[in-house]
Amino acid sequence: MKLAAILARKDLLETLRDKLSFVFILLMPLAFTLFFGLLFGGGGNTDKLPLAVWDADGGAAAKQLVADLDKSSVVHVVVKQGDEFETWMADERAAAGLLVPKGYSAAVASGEQADLTIVSTQGSNGAATAASAVRSLAGEQVTVELASRAAAEAIWTTRSMRSGSQETVVVQSAAEARPVVAAALARPAVSTRVVEAGAAAGQTPSGFILSSPGMLVNFILFSLMTAGIALIIERQNGTLQRLMTTRLRRWELIGGKAAGMFLLTFVQQILLMGVAQLFFGVDYLRDPVALFLMMVSLSLVASTLGLLLASVMKSEQALIATTVLVSMAVAAMSGAWFPLEITGPTFQTVGHLLPTAWILDGLRGIVVRGFDVSDVLPAFGVSVAWAAGFFVLAVWRFRLSD
Amino acid sequence: MSIVEVKELRKQYDPPKGVLAVDGVSFGIEQGEIFSLLGPNGAGKSTTISMLSCLLKPTGGDATVAGHSVVSDPQAVKETIGVVPQDIALYPDMSARENLVFWGRMYGLSGDELKRRVDEVLELITLVDRQKDRVDKFSGGMKRRVNIGVALLHKPKVLYLDEPTVGIDPQSRRSILDGILALRDQGMTILYTTHYMAEAQELSDRIAIVDHGKMIAVGTHEELVKIVGEGARVSARVDHYLEGMAERWREVKGVEKVEIEEDEAVLLTEDPNEVLPRLFEAAATAGSRITEINVTEPNLEMVFLHLTGRALRE
Repeated sequence: MKLAAILARKDLLETLRDKLSFVFILLMPLAFTLFFGLLFGGGGNTDKLPLAVWDADGGAAAKQLVADLDKSSVVHVVVKQGDEFETWMADERAAAGLLVPKGYSAAVASGEQADLTIVSTQGSNGAATAASAVRSLAGEQVTVELASRAAAEAIWTTRSMRSGSQETVVVQSAAEARPVVAAALARPAVSTRVVEAGAAAGQTPSGFILSSPGMLVNFILFSLMTAGIALIIERQNGTLQRLMTTRLRRWELIGGKAAGMFLLTFVQQILLMGVAQLFFGVDYLRDPVALFLMMVSLSLVASTLGLLLASVMKSEQALIATTVLVSMAVAAMSGAWFPLEITGPTFQTVGHLLPTAWILDGLRGIVVRGFDVSDVLPAFGVSVAWAAGFFVLAVWRFRLSD
Repeated sequence: MSIVEVKELRKQYDPPKGVLAVDGVSFGIEQGEIFSLLGPNGAGKSTTISMLSCLLKPTGGDATVAGHSVVSDPQAVKETIGVVPQDIALYPDMSARENLVFWGRMYGLSGDELKRRVDEVLELITLVDRQKDRVDKFSGGMKRRVNIGVALLHKPKVLYLDEPTVGIDPQSRRSILDGILALRDQGMTILYTTHYMAEAQELSDRIAIVDHGKMIAVGTHEELVKIVGEGARVSARVDHYLEGMAERWREVKGVEKVEIEEDEAVLLTEDPNEVLPRLFEAAATAGSRITEINVTEPNLEMVFLHLTGRALRE
């Protein structure tokens, strides 16, 4: 066991001191995270869903609603008018759109039911969340207005009472106001009409939250190339055979090599997540234990897959070609480049045959929805099962020389 | 009892129809001896070493190293041997010292003992000044020295060297051969494989000639050349009348046989030092002048040719 640990440490240090590896392990993933993050809408208020608002009314109540929405913990408001609003929705740059029609403020002021239009996509989780926030805040605003009116009317009715104590007047006023308030509350304070925009609007909470876990998985898979090539070179130059003439046992050799790859990918994850946490505003640390489980899952899958590929492939060229193909295909099908939610059900089902899709669900769940350990346990289980399969195949195919 | 005992060792790849790389080889190596396996490429030398290193499992027979069986107790065998493979089995992007430290740990060394042994080996392979340089910056000879140094770290009882001088310059080769002789003088047992006849002849206490997986002869150099049953060959050219000169040389004391081969006379003799002055004297008496003369002592090349009918090409 000690010898396997020495071997793993040597492999890790050997890879990390290689400048080219540094480019692949850190610089390229960060560059792609930045690129895709900006492509998907950049950073900004990464914890809130972007809500495009077209205020066609411009009255006091409309302005108050927009201000209240912007202060909410769910959405942040991007004010757009006319064609610009349409363009934003068509380009799917907002989680949802809110159209405040003319007459909204007047309706609120007169106690009438106020109408709002939410532009959404059918089945869009982000849009549904935004719509819920709009209904809540607008309803609260109109209800307050109605309650205020009812109270004022009651006071107007009872002000002619010249006799009686203060308590008598309050009781009388409340009795007058009660049926008015009850009637007001009985009908919807605000009506919202949901219309569809382009496909998939609002699935993406923010650019970097989307790009960081995706690129992380993509480049962890890509880094298999570095570790795999090192193993093939060792097989070709005879160091693997020489290791077996020392005290090292076969299981220690294979375990040490797998552990080296595990450590490499784990360190890579720490570096990439650290940069994303500090500079891209992606909050990976919402549940550290759940995050640790997902990191272990990804490193297990990646290291055992790397060991398998290096065991099967005979040359560096074959390994490079295969790794590029496998990592790209797996990354794409797992939702590393685009969320699986925007794909069809068949693609989603096929994607979730891969452990990386589960891991991505777990990682995005942690940063977006605050997943805890119980939420990521299925992903952990799937990953361990896949890693065990990869490892068994790798041990079966592992050889000391060509 | 020999420190290495090989009994009917056999290796067939993909039996029963695969290549029979080693076919029932048996020999013993005494403590402090340099024992060489000499044979052409593909003779089975490296396969034999791989089995004795526990890298390959024999398909027949067994071998013991310091009393431990390569079949039933490979882990104990590995603790008594040092293996210098034919390839430069080092990590090229690590320094000489880093390589030695890593391999030392793989041999179970640690702490002060590891540091001391690394320092000693660096002295031994004369790379103290270059110890911090990456191995891929070294010449072929320097890499070979580090390759050998790695196998010496844990002071093995038996050292296997598989063609350690392939592809290096004469100066480095000389340095390596001198180092091997020094190790033998310190009491280390060495199993050496080569297809260089001169190396085997110079280094070895005993030599086993192998071909097509079989051991065809074993013994000291002197014992092996006696197999040929010939003395030294003297080939000579004269300025005129070769046939007449050959007749006169047949009469010279110490000359066993004379034949004409194309434009030269070929003589066999047990003692060329004694015979050569007589040959010159006979030529002078006959009025002839020797224009070229060569003496070839019996060697392993001739032994191999004698035993297999083929030349052992260097």
